[in-house]
Amino acid sequence: MFWQLLISGLVIGSVYGLIALGYSLIYKASGLLTFAQGDLLTLGAFLGVTFFTVLKLPFVVSLVLAVGFGFAVGMLIEKFIIRRLLNKKVLIIYVVLSTIALSYIIQNGTMLAFGTKTKYFPAIFSISRIKLGSIYVQMESVVCILVSLACMLILHLFMSKTKLGTAMRAASMDRVAAEARGINVSLTTGLTWGLAAGFAALGGMLIGPVYGVYTTLGATIGKKASASAVSGGYGNMYGAIVGGLLLGIIETLVAGFLSSEYKDMISYIILLLFLFLRPTGIFNERALQD
Amino acid sequence: MKRTQKNLKRPLLALLAVLLLSVPLIFSGFPYAILICCFILLYVIAVSGLDIVFGYCGQISMGHAAFFAIGAYGSCLLHDYCGIPIMLTMVIAAVLAASVGAVIAYPASKLVFHFLSLATLSFGEIVYQIISHSPGGITNNFVGYYTESINFFGLTLDTYPRFYYYALGCAVLFLTAKQMLVNSQVGRAFIAIRENHHAADGMGVNVRKYKVIAFAVSAFYTAFAGAMYAHLVRYISPDTFMQKQSVMFLTMLLFGGTASLAGPICGVTVVMLLNELLRSAERYQMFIYGILLLAVIVLIPGGIYGTVEKAIKNVFRRKKEAAKDAAG
Amino acid sequence: MLQVKDVTLSFGGLVAVNHVSMEVRDGSITGLIGPNGAGKTTFFNIASGVYTPDSGEIIFDGKNITGKRCFQINEAGISRTYQVINLFKKMTVLENVLVGMHSRIKSNFFASLLHLPSQRAEEKELRKKAMKLLEFVGLEKQANDEAGSLSYGQQRLLEIVRGMASDPKLLLLDEPAAGMNSHENDELMVLLKKIAAMGISILIIEHDMNLMMNLCDYIYVLNYGKLLAEGKPAQIQQNPDVIAAYLGGE
Repeated sequence: MFWQLLISGLVIGSVYGLIALGYSLIYKASGLLTFAQGDLLTLGAFLGVTFFTVLKLPFVVSLVLAVGFGFAVGMLIEKFIIRRLLNKKVLIIYVVLSTIALSYIIQNGTMLAFGTKTKYFPAIFSISRIKLGSIYVQMESVVCILVSLACMLILHLFMSKTKLGTAMRAASMDRVAAEARGINVSLTTGLTWGLAAGFAALGGMLIGPVYGVYTTLGATIGKKASASAVSGGYGNMYGAIVGGLLLGIIETLVAGFLSSEYKDMISYIILLLFLFLRPTGIFNERALQD
Repeated sequence: MKRTQKNLKRPLLALLAVLLLSVPLIFSGFPYAILICCFILLYVIAVSGLDIVFGYCGQISMGHAAFFAIGAYGSCLLHDYCGIPIMLTMVIAAVLAASVGAVIAYPASKLVFHFLSLATLSFGEIVYQIISHSPGGITNNFVGYYTESINFFGLTLDTYPRFYYYALGCAVLFLTAKQMLVNSQVGRAFIAIRENHHAADGMGVNVRKYKVIAFAVSAFYTAFAGAMYAHLVRYISPDTFMQKQSVMFLTMLLFGGTASLAGPICGVTVVMLLNELLRSAERYQMFIYGILLLAVIVLIPGGIYGTVEKAIKNVFRRKKEAAKDAAG
Repeated sequence: MLQVKDVTLSFGGLVAVNHVSMEVRDGSITGLIGPNGAGKTTFFNIASGVYTPDSGEIIFDGKNITGKRCFQINEAGISRTYQVINLFKKMTVLENVLVGMHSRIKSNFFASLLHLPSQRAEEKELRKKAMKLLEFVGLEKQANDEAGSLSYGQQRLLEIVRGMASDPKLLLLDEPAAGMNSHENDELMVLLKKIAAMGISILIIEHDMNLMMNLCDYIYVLNYGKLLAEGKPAQIQQNPDVIAAYLGGE
């Protein structure tokens, strides 16, 4: 029972981690909170399931297409809405509200385009489950955990080892200095939003085969993932991952051993506790200073 | 110039009063329209409450549906379990919500708005979870809860016209109180915090205390409106108190314009009428809202009333300048 | 009036204010000078409650106010202006001054909500007093304009009257002459002398040496967070350490 729960916790936790990573990237690059991440996950999942079942594309191709599409949407959002608002010097809170509006548009747009019925991925892998010690684990779960962890590792390498990644980090630390060094800050900011949206779409492609795809799939995950981002230390990439995994595990274990009634409440309580008692998160990220 | 404005003000107000009072007569063959007007009035109270904390004090709340819920469920449960008359339970529930608001605002007051939006959002979700998975099922969870009409000193407000007059009275009372409050030292402290909280602190404003007050007053307004909602519809279920509702309040406020008397009125009226127009296209409703909200933020960040007000001011200024030029 | 005893504050490894002691005497104008980054503004922020010192004491009017919060220090009778203009931009000039009076207002929440007669009478008094203050600096014509629409020099003046609105015993002025032309500078000097004559002690940070030497009764010099010298303006001008610090810093 415990191991089974732990695996389910890791599955949802790694998706929380992916979304929270997006939050942290965006916060670092633009100093903003976004509420559209979760719905980008839904969009990615719907696109993926469509590519896979309707167009009969291989799973990997569907995944790459969905992520690429998410990436493009993220960049477009930054270019046509976020940057526009920032250039107009509106109150920051209006920019955050614009992401709420976007989340409504994406969520209801996917509903209009794909319908209200839950869509399921047909069996993706020839082996449906594997034996790990004494328990059987769904192949989709294994893939979900492994792929998201691999992507986080790739992101880490990209950010620390490549020129573009270093430029992105520099731009988010000090915009003016980065610009003076010839870094195209608008490009790196756009890329960051694209990357965040791509991660969201990836999350959708990974969790879709496990949970099924429906219009409010991402909304809940998106809100809970903000608890991961805060508990890890908002703006800290590694904190987002650790926070995501921890939250997934805690939530699943509590639901399994105590009561599933209040499963959905746990993440919000954790979020409030961290905000009120330790707003810098586990990794002591000083994001909340004003 | 100022004099003509003042001279116009009284007859205009009188006309407005007559118009508002005769709504049930105008729509006497069309009770549905009166119901919509009742909703507009109660939402005006709720959104004006949000305006106090967001428009004046500059503190975002993405969980006002929670206060709406505390008002609605609080009033119904107090009436059923303690046998207190509804007129009183509405007030008690609103006071309760104000206390909850204060308790949440105290630790939340040090958060900057990004994180305040997360904190209020989680608060809203927690309250939603509590009413939909209530201990002992006292709220009937997802089945919903049936309640009674208000008994106004012996008169049961079970028809739309009756409720309309009651709601009109409440709205006038609450809006007057709001104007009194924002035009006093308390309101000045709110605005000072919004404009520059460091300087407000340095000038002797206890920033935390005033943020707590703003949240509490705001919660009182929205909760009272929630209680009105419950006893108007006589049925409440968790659906009404989802995060959607909090965003709806914000949409109404931004639509109309913040930090004014007329802003919430404009916003609520426009959004409610839109709601009705879109009723036949319910599937597209939320989608269209999203687009409208985005359009307002990108195109007219001052809201409808704010933009109109600015335009009028500009016209006056231009006239003044023209007069000056002519004189000089 | 204000006694600062051996105050130290560090941020991480950087000691911003290092064992500084000083005193502001009743009714005097005391200057605080030093090269950029010497810790002057940090010192102000300690005195006005933005930061709590790691060690040391601040005594004001015989009371220990160390670690008190900003609004409490304002209540105690120390008011301030800011180096960067920190007005309430969307409020009118008059309202800015009214906010400055906040800590002296007696009406409570319910009196304000109901506009009780006592509150209305008080509000009337406040407005009268605020207008007087505005007349004092010559801003009465702009009373109902938005503070953000004032010229730069006027905004600086408004900062000062807003600081005076709470009837402080001590006024902390952080570079009030920054960005002013020489004419405005002269006017400012006259104004500050008038304020001191009203019995409000002043502690002032300013880079304009000419102004400081003519204005101050006593001057403290900070360098790298440490007190470098103190004395009457004439003594400071002769002090070899001060000359070295300034020449070295240039």
